[in-house]
Amino acid sequence: MPVWLREHSWRQTLTAVYLSLPLRGARATAANIFCSEQYLKVSIPPFLFEAVLYAPIDDTNSTAKIGNGNIFFTLYKKELAMWDSLTLANADKGKLQYLRENAVLKAHEKAKEETEAKKITKQEHKKYALEATMKLEEAERKRIEDLKEKERQKVAKELELWKNQQKDADKYKNIQKRGELHQEIEPLKERKKEKMNKTRIPNEGSSKTRLKPTKGCHGPCSMFSENLKEEQLPAPRSATTIKVSFTPRVFPTALRESRVAEEEEWLHKQAEARRIINSDLSELEDLKAEEKNPDWLKDKGNKMFAMGNYLGAVNAYNLAVRLNNKLPLLYLNRAACHLKLRNLHKAIEDSSKALELLTPPVPDNENARVKAHVRRGTAFCQLELYTEGLQDYEAALKINPENKNIEKDAEKIRHLIQGTMQSS
Amino acid sequence: LPAACMERPQVVSHVQQALNYTVFDCKWVPRSARLLCLGSAARGTGLVQLYELHGARLELLREIEKPKPIKCGTFGATSLQQRYLATGDFDGNLNIWNLEAPEIPVYSVKGHKEIINSIDGVGGLGIGEGAPEIVTGSRDGTVKVWDPRQKDTPVANMEPVQGESKRDCWTVAFGNAYNQEERVVCAGYDNGDIKLFDLKTMSLRWETNIKNGVCSVEFDRKDINMNKLVATSLEGKFHVFDMRTQHPTKGFASVSEKAQKSTIWQVRHLPQNRDVFMTSGGSGSLHLWKYEYPAQRSKKDSEGSEMGVAGSVSLLQNVTLSTQPISSLDWSPDKKGLCVCGAFDQTVRVLIVTKLNKI
Repeated sequence: MPVWLREHSWRQTLTAVYLSLPLRGARATAANIFCSEQYLKVSIPPFLFEAVLYAPIDDTNSTAKIGNGNIFFTLYKKELAMWDSLTLANADKGKLQYLRENAVLKAHEKAKEETEAKKITKQEHKKYALEATMKLEEAERKRIEDLKEKERQKVAKELELWKNQQKDADKYKNIQKRGELHQEIEPLKERKKEKMNKTRIPNEGSSKTRLKPTKGCHGPCSMFSENLKEEQLPAPRSATTIKVSFTPRVFPTALRESRVAEEEEWLHKQAEARRIINSDLSELEDLKAEEKNPDWLKDKGNKMFAMGNYLGAVNAYNLAVRLNNKLPLLYLNRAACHLKLRNLHKAIEDSSKALELLTPPVPDNENARVKAHVRRGTAFCQLELYTEGLQDYEAALKINPENKNIEKDAEKIRHLIQGTMQSS
Repeated sequence: LPAACMERPQVVSHVQQALNYTVFDCKWVPRSARLLCLGSAARGTGLVQLYELHGARLELLREIEKPKPIKCGTFGATSLQQRYLATGDFDGNLNIWNLEAPEIPVYSVKGHKEIINSIDGVGGLGIGEGAPEIVTGSRDGTVKVWDPRQKDTPVANMEPVQGESKRDCWTVAFGNAYNQEERVVCAGYDNGDIKLFDLKTMSLRWETNIKNGVCSVEFDRKDINMNKLVATSLEGKFHVFDMRTQHPTKGFASVSEKAQKSTIWQVRHLPQNRDVFMTSGGSGSLHLWKYEYPAQRSKKDSEGSEMGVAGSVSLLQNVTLSTQPISSLDWSPDKKGLCVCGAFDQTVRVLIVTKLNKI
């Protein structure tokens, strides 16, 4: 229950009401005071003062002064009349409630309006600032443009001047030339009849004499010495051919398209793999030298596969793997053998191992990867794991979309899958 | 902008001309304010247009149409009076035209089986000494040197060994033509090979590989003892080789710079200052560079052989003119700083580079 502050005193004039409210030791700030047109409340918990005013006041201009344990209100009346009392006497609870709510609403609205107004002014200030900066920048830009324009005009003028110089020089030379030509035609005719068609009357623009005013004249010549010079020119060279060869490239792609890093990695891996020799050689001592060479063993295995001797081929590959377990082709070929022998799980294992070793994926090991996927796919299908099989076939197609067989097989598998799904 | 920035050379765009065909090469006509644009019209024929610079615009003086699209051209091997244009076209034909009477070529040969990608000429224009010669590099992997006085057969042919795979030749350049006998041809290929052929000894003098396809090679000057060679490539890199000192195994010293993310299509040295050159890029930008020589251009290695020391390259200015690659670039030999460039947005632009005197 709040403690009501009732010891207030007030006096009035025609225009204003002066209300003094002692605070009984409580400290007040602006936040504790709530005032609207006809309602005044001061709430400093646990103290509370509330008054429904006799007549509306101008709450924007009214003031409240806090100090000396007292709040002093100066309320300007809206209507200039003397009030009978400070508050409305016969205010019933309902009316009070209504007035309170109204007051609160009004205050809200006012607050909103104020924020709106603030926002608008802020925006306008911003706009103004922006325009001012833009103007400054425009001015700067214009200044630079002007400088550039001046430069341009200066340069254009110089060019015109130069061009006119050219024209004048040409005209002058033409006249000169005609004079010279008449002088020189006689000896020329005598000496080089066949070169006459080359000495033409020069037309505007073609000129080359020692009298040229502008710079850039390369060597003094008159027509006369030009012809002499022609005689001194060396004969055309005897035709020869120089053979060239071009820098070879491991991968023929342009630098920016090549996946150089990956290709290098692949080459490196291959080189490494060939150098590995697995060391459990104790049982292998009675083998012949060539039988210790994984490549030789691989070839042997390939031959046996070709002849249909799948078990023999597997043995050869097994031995090769024991000697060097990093060659992907060994696993790849062994997978093929297992397929033929219907050791489907082993086929899957070997194809997987081969694919592992065939990273990073580069154009060089494309073929091998396609084969690995196809073999593994086939094994899956024969185990009736059609979805896995299809996955491998699709991977193979992705690497090599041109291969029609793979496409056909993939289609078949898809049909199979759809068939089983429908029937189940 | 601080004033210091305005002290650097500026690239000022003087004239822009929209064309209705694809321009592959543009060249100034020597001793004049005229320029040529070479390219391919939409209907698949070749086009040569002659423009004259009039104030702030280009006036079309002449248009010549030929059956096959034209890829490249040069005035390098012609005399200053004749100013015949040598062109290479998409069909592998080398033609030399008299622009006053362009109906029939002065010289014509089906030099290559495939498009001639690049052409260069030397011995003409009063520059250098020796016979006038033209070199062409083609997609068929061969580089051939022609003498306009000899019909049908080239005077030198650099072709792949029989049976080996061939690589497209993308660019060729003459150099070292400081007297009547000496001459070299440098060729760049699409696999990054750069080969230097000595025409006096008719042999391969040096080769190297810069990993990315070589779009353009140029010596800083053709008519002096070979000094510097710039080679540009795909992926925004270019290399400057110091050609004065050849080491027996390491070849020529070089410095390389990565200018931008896109292909550098062309490099052209300023005719009036051989240490300044401009590169044009696939992103439509132009970069102006200056080469600085090292304190000592050569030093001895551990075995006592001479090896070159490369200097450094600094960027003077860069500007973006277009969204499409600028595929061709030519400095005017008569006015310092005047240049023309052609881009794949079917526009040819005449530019002026200022303050080159202050470098």
